[in-house]
Amino acid sequence: MQPEAVELIVLAAAALAFAVAFSPRAASRRELLGKGSVGIVGAAAIAAVPTFDLALFVVLALGVVHSVVEGKRPLALRLRGPVVAVTLLALGAVFARVQGPDVLERLAAVGIVAGLAAAVGVLPYLHPIDPEEQLTSSPVVWLAFVGPVLAAVIVERAQSLLPVDAAGAFGALLIGLGLVNVVWGGAAAWLTESEAAAWRYSFVADWGLVLCGLGLIVADGQRAAILVLFSIVLCRLPLCLVSLEAPREKAVTRRPVNLVVAAALAGSAPFAGFAARLLLLRAATQLFWPLAVVLAAGMLLWLPGSLRLGRSLGLPKGRQAVGVALVLAVNVAVGLYPLPLLLAAHL
Amino acid sequence: MVEAAAAFVAWLGASVVVLSDGRRGLALGVALGAAGIAVIALDVAGPIAAGSIALGGLVAAAGRLGSGREGWHIMPAGSTPRLVLCIAAGLLALWVAAGVATGPGAPLRFTAMVVIGLSGARVLGGEDAPVLFTATGLLALSVALAAGTGLNAPEPWPFLAAAILAGSIAWISPRPVRAA
Repeated sequence: MQPEAVELIVLAAAALAFAVAFSPRAASRRELLGKGSVGIVGAAAIAAVPTFDLALFVVLALGVVHSVVEGKRPLALRLRGPVVAVTLLALGAVFARVQGPDVLERLAAVGIVAGLAAAVGVLPYLHPIDPEEQLTSSPVVWLAFVGPVLAAVIVERAQSLLPVDAAGAFGALLIGLGLVNVVWGGAAAWLTESEAAAWRYSFVADWGLVLCGLGLIVADGQRAAILVLFSIVLCRLPLCLVSLEAPREKAVTRRPVNLVVAAALAGSAPFAGFAARLLLLRAATQLFWPLAVVLAAGMLLWLPGSLRLGRSLGLPKGRQAVGVALVLAVNVAVGLYPLPLLLAAHL
Repeated sequence: MVEAAAAFVAWLGASVVVLSDGRRGLALGVALGAAGIAVIALDVAGPIAAGSIALGGLVAAAGRLGSGREGWHIMPAGSTPRLVLCIAAGLLALWVAAGVATGPGAPLRFTAMVVIGLSGARVLGGEDAPVLFTATGLLALSVALAAGTGLNAPEPWPFLAAAILAGSIAWISPRPVRAA
């Protein structure tokens, strides 16, 4: 298994442990543990299988299992994302393997990038959400739990699958799609009416940074991507869970804790997101400095959305307050000293 | 010649899945699709792969006969766009597989592209669980062919995995969605 994938599986397991430990209801904890364990096993299987094609079968199986768990969205909506993803990824694999003109290699890169976007649920394949739906059956599972492992595996295996000439197109597509998601996700997290949708768009914006990092072929880009993925799994996901699980405790909205949470979500210093953004800007500067300017401008879009999401936590109490404090502490630790995380991923 | 006929049968099967709403039509489509894919797989990856696909297709077809809308319901009223999709997808895949791509194995390329594309399109356009799961199963079988594309001697594992997945999916009965 590739080290990044192993690290992301461990992080997903830690996020699950957090969810189980700090969920306010006992019934919800049992359900989270059961369904989350299935997700962890699925993510581990995606990383463990030896070929790209077998990973597609695991994604398809996981998509079917996720579509039949109890939820409020229709089956067709829940199944569509994974099936479209597998369709595009498989077509990409076919185009990558056949002999022919260069255009087929570029179509392979398009298929794989589009398939990755469809699997994770970022633009242009946003999975529809239902604000009343439980987290275990919502698209957040793909955005923040299984998606990071899937992205690491797909990108690593695609690089060996695609011919050398198509690698440039693959990277450029990732960066282009990443920028679209940064801008759209950042603006929508700020302007959308629904709180659940705002959380979803904030994940999308983070994924924009991940895609840019994965597309930048220099080491700092890969490092930035793994740090943003860390921040998705162990910052945004737990805070999203706390926010969505405690809807009745939101009377107080402008406490210092809300500002600190907003800072963590926006990737301010000293949280992990800040280190990721610095690395990403450095990588962009190494390759093509105007890209760094565009990224820096896009990063400003996190501020209003994060302030809004920070307020949505209300005033965490008891078990949830401990959980929020733990998340913030871990993110400060990784932000100040990210080296162990990067070394574990061999980056 | 045999591979070309098998590719046509696979396209026909995928088209029947796209054009059907009833359990018999869907079962016939997945059986035809699996038969075509199995013949291609025999040439590409050997008898174990072909046997797996054939068995997986049979199990999937049998599972589909047990649930879903009664009857055939092939080409019901309003299915002209689906028919156009099947023909256009077939022509496009044929052009790419035989005209744009080079080298041997055009039937394999055609079958992989057209069955993957039509299965994915069926899931995008479908609403009923039996239709969705039938198309997903057929997609699994065709993804195995994608694994065999461009390789000299592909392993049988993707074909086995595809058969298990397609056979299992057809027997799933999802719980109805609760009203909000």
